[in-house]
Parts: sequence; structure tokens; C-alpha cells
Amino acid sequence: MKALLFKDFKLCLHPTIFIYLAMVLMLLIPSYPYLVSCFFVCNAIFFIFQSSRENGDPMYTAMLPVSKAQTVRARCLFVVLVQTIDILLMAGMCAFAIVSMPEHNAGGTDHGLSLLAFALVLFAIFNLIFLPSFYKTGYKAGTSFLKGAIGVWIWLILAEGTMIASGAIKESGADVPFFRFLAEYVDCMPKTAKAWTVQLILFGAGLLIYAVCTLLAARLSVNNYEKVDVQ
Amino acid sequence: MKILAIQNLRKAYPGFLLNDVSFDVEEGCIMGFIGRNGAGKTTTIKCILNLAHADGGSVLFEGRDLWANETVCKKEIGLVLGEFDYYKRKKLRVIADVTKRFYPDWDEALYQELLKRFSLDPEKKVSELSQGMRVKFALALALSHRAKLLILDEPTSGLDPVSRDELLEIFRTIIEDGRHSILFSTHIISDLEKCADYITYIKGGKILCSTDVETFKDAYRLVSGEAEQLAEYRDRLVGCRAHAFGFTGLMRREDAEAAEDLKIAPADMESIMIYTEKEDGHESVAF
Repeated sequence: MKALLFKDFKLCLHPTIFIYLAMVLMLLIPSYPYLVSCFFVCNAIFFIFQSSRENGDPMYTAMLPVSKAQTVRARCLFVVLVQTIDILLMAGMCAFAIVSMPEHNAGGTDHGLSLLAFALVLFAIFNLIFLPSFYKTGYKAGTSFLKGAIGVWIWLILAEGTMIASGAIKESGADVPFFRFLAEYVDCMPKTAKAWTVQLILFGAGLLIYAVCTLLAARLSVNNYEKVDVQ
Repeated sequence: MKILAIQNLRKAYPGFLLNDVSFDVEEGCIMGFIGRNGAGKTTTIKCILNLAHADGGSVLFEGRDLWANETVCKKEIGLVLGEFDYYKRKKLRVIADVTKRFYPDWDEALYQELLKRFSLDPEKKVSELSQGMRVKFALALALSHRAKLLILDEPTSGLDPVSRDELLEIFRTIIEDGRHSILFSTHIISDLEKCADYITYIKGGKILCSTDVETFKDAYRLVSGEAEQLAEYRDRLVGCRAHAFGFTGLMRREDAEAAEDLKIAPADMESIMIYTEKEDGHESVAF
């Protein structure tokens, strides 16, 4: 596994990944749907798979003394590492924003653990759709990315849309308990004990969804790739 | 002792069937694997190594089921599928650095020696190498982990005659200790004449024969005769070429020996393959 990860790092890492990871700086834009920055990381993952395919990586790896299952698990782990780096960078940006950008984000989820939880769910959806779809053929990166991107954007619009709605409803003075709860404890910087608790629970749930979906994605990908004749 | 035993390997593609392919590779030998383009050589090799899923059959490597012990067995197998056509923008040094981590028996001194022998600059990128140099790089990687079995698909295509000769010499050196073997598919039959001990001949997805080189060559004779004799011998010719003065063709040894009025000469492997492939058309047209 270590050797496969080293191979992915040395031979398959697409240089644009650093540019896409730098999109985390979008978290410093005032009033913006920050989950969009996560979509760029999905883009980076697509480029890794696409450039690997163009470089003959599937055949080269198949010739090495590793099984197809090991190959798929290593690549899934590589994806998890990239997404983990992005979540850590986002956490850093959130911490910075809480101190230096006290204004509420009217464009989407505010800086906080809720944002990280929603990002984890976004990655979970992407992994669950993109990875098994790609490993059905071992080469159809574009189609698989398109399917994954549709899932990601549905979640992104739903999550950010709900947060924008909760803020707007609060602003209008209307008292809808569900949206009031979201505005007071979810779509805000966690500064009260209750907000911290709610957001920690959300973050835990996000982690759980991410772990379950990614493990399921890896298992489905292994099963799919076992049936593929490497080309 | 058999280092590789392939039994009833089957693989169906739309329009192509690899049909019950069976042959063995003995320890300390070079097995030439010949056949036309599309005959099934690469498919067989891919099925052996589980790169393509066989629909049936078995592959034993040193008596072990290769597919069930894939990772262990592959550590002892060196594979070259033509030229090195991967990661074209990467330096050879980086690719070798990655590759050696998969092989506990990687011999760095041997790798460095092969780089020198093949005049390969580790700081060059794959895209900067000629086709022949890419083949040499693939061979350097495959040879450097002390594989017991080398499986080479068209390794000499694209190499100049001097490099090919050098390579064939390396192959002979590898098997000298009697513990290493090579399965070697090629279109360049003259290379096999120089180094192969055994021949496996595949045609249309079926193995026509798998035997030692001498037996293979001794089973046939090249014959030539007058134009008017062609009608008499047509049915006994494996393949033939008609020309203005008569015909030349290939016959099975027993048929050739019975044909006393034809000129008979020993058959070389290239002629056997050419005339056997003409079998369906039976006769080529002279211009």
C-alpha cells in the first residue's frame, strides 16, 4: 500500500491539484457559498484520474506485483488524503475568519464546523458516485466526473440554499422554528456553547457519513474493477 | 521442471476466441511464442498475468496457482509489453525509484549496469527516448528485480540489429544458471532462431504446436517444383507460392519424403510460419 501511495504521489499527482487546493482561499470572500471551493477539489481528483489514464497508469500498475483490489484501495486512500488536506485547510481558514471576519456570511454557510460537515458530505457524495463509476471501466473519467458533479451540485445547492434561506427568513422577522434553529446554531460562527455542541454533532455526523460512503465507494470500486480487463 | 504451466486458457471477445490454450515453459529455457498480428499472443500473456480475466483454464507458476497468488508470483515475474509507454513526462530516475519499491529483490547494481549497457540517461524523460530506447528501459526495469521468469511481448521490435543481438546475448546469459526462463513473443523469427529452445505457435486463438525448435523445424520441408506438378501436390502442400517457373511451398516431412520428383530443402522457422499462414489462401499469386 505504501509503495502504491508513493507511486500515486510521484507519478500520478497532477500539478493543478495545488491550484485547486488553493481555492480554499475563497473562504475569505465575503458573502459567498464556500462549499463551491470543495467542488474545485473534486475537479482536482478528476484530473488525477484523467492524467493517470492518459499516462498508461492502469496498465503499468497492473504489471506490478499488486492485486487490482490493492490498486483501487490505494487510489481511494490517495483521494481521502487530498480531501483531508482540503478539510484541514478549510478548518484553518474558518479559524482565521472567525477571528478576522466577524460579519455573517449572507451568501451561504457561515465559517464554522457546519461548513466542514457539509464539505464532508459533499466529498462523500462525490466519492460514492465517482469512484465506483470510474472503476466500472477503469478509463471513463469524464462521464464518471459528470455524474459525480451532478450529485455534488445538488447537495451544494440544497445545503447552501437552505442556509441562505434560514438567514433571509431570520432577517425578515418571520419566526419559523426550523429555520430559526438553523440560523442561530448551524449557519453561524460557533461562539456559544449550544452552537458549538450543535455544530460538533453535525461535524461528527458529517465524518460518519464521509467514512461510511467512502468505505462503501472503495468496496464497490474494488468489485467493479475486478471484472475489468486492463487496457 | 515446469516454471509455467498453462492449461485450457479460454477468453472470448466479440469476434475472437482464445480457445483452450495450453503449453508449458520449462525452467532454464527460452520459449518463443509466435503467431501473426491478432493471433492471440498478447491476449494470452494478459490472461496469464490476470491483466485480462480468462473465462476458463488455469495458470501454474512453479506449481502455484498464479491467479490465487498473484502478488507473490508477480514479484518473481518480469513483464515487458513492448516499449515503455507510460508517464512520458517523467524522468527515468523517478520511474525506477517508484518501481523498485515493489520488488524486495531489486538489484540496484544490476539496474545501473543495464542503464550503462543500454546507454540510458536516468535524467532523461520517457518522451525524450526513441522507440528502441523505451524498449531497453522496459527491459532494464524487468531484468533488475531478478525475476525467475521473464515474459516479453515483442521486446526486440524497434531495436536496431546490434541492440537486438546484444539483448539476445543477455537472454542467453540469464537462463545459463538453469533456474531462469523466458517466454518471448515476437514477429522477428530470426531472433528466435538465434536463442529459442522451444516454440509455441498460435494461430487464430488456437495453439498449433508447442515443441522444441528442432522438432518444430524437422516436421516440415521446403519444396519446389515445376508449374505442371502443382496440381498433383496441391493437396499435400501446407502453403505455396506460384511463380512463372513453377512453385515453392511447404510440406509436412512425411509428405515431402514421398514426393521424390520435387526439390526438397530443410525448412526454417520463418518459412514455416509464412506458409502455414498462407494455408487458408493455399496459394499466392505471382505478378
